[in-house]
Amino acid sequence: MAPKTTTAAPAIKKAAAAKKAALKGTAAKVTRKVRTNTTFRIPKTLRLARTPKYPRRSVPRTPTLDAHAIIKFPLNTESAMKKIEEDNTLVFITDVRANKRQIKDAVQRLYDVSAVKVNTLIRPDGAKKAYVKLDADVEALEVANRIGFI
Amino acid sequence: ASVRAYELRTKSKAELAKDLEDLKTELASLRVKQHSSSSGNQQQQQQQSVPRITTVRKAIARVNTVISQVQRDQLRLFYKGAKYTPLDLRVKKTRAIRRRLTNFEKAQKTVKATKKERHFPQRKYAIKA
Repeated sequence: MAPKTTTAAPAIKKAAAAKKAALKGTAAKVTRKVRTNTTFRIPKTLRLARTPKYPRRSVPRTPTLDAHAIIKFPLNTESAMKKIEEDNTLVFITDVRANKRQIKDAVQRLYDVSAVKVNTLIRPDGAKKAYVKLDADVEALEVANRIGFI
Repeated sequence: ASVRAYELRTKSKAELAKDLEDLKTELASLRVKQHSSSSGNQQQQQQQSVPRITTVRKAIARVNTVISQVQRDQLRLFYKGAKYTPLDLRVKKTRAIRRRLTNFEKAQKTVKATKKERHFPQRKYAIKA
């Protein structure tokens, strides 16, 4: 009977394990994680990007403050003319919401001139005045003639 | 050169964009003219009258309207029959109306009620005088 017991032993073991699994379930032994730090940090989980089934807006909005809206018109007051002749700067009335960088880009786009620096102030009547200093290789007077407000 | 909406509708998107750009540059030059104080003005703050400005402004409005209308019509075609449409292409009406039961939903009856109506309808009769 020796061969029978040696072959029967693993089969008995397997049957016993199956019986235990059926009666008690397979998650009976709970292993607790060893925590070596007192702080609990939020575990990193999977973060999916959005894949909307439809765009909420049919078309994305186009910016309303484009180059044409930023620069309203140039000033040709006496002090502005002085700036043109002496400092190589043009003086514009711009939209109040425009910042210096936007004004610089707008001037570049509309009149094809590069500005060295832009100084702005808000007039007492609420409009924004921009002093746009042009690059040394461009003459402000010539640009002013080209724009047409001399 | 008067800008007409029905003529604009035959143009392509690129052509309309170019028209818009041209009109805006024209408007800019008109504004320069409007605000340029010639040395003969009594008050330096006087605006000159440039009547063409109103026509150009309205022309810009027309081009923008046509661009937007054509775009939205095309999008409605694109989403026709789709399960989900963008919110601005959906019916607007009012918030309350959008939340009401639809006519189909209102007409729904339970099986029991339909059977009852079928078997025991309201009879109309007259009594002979």
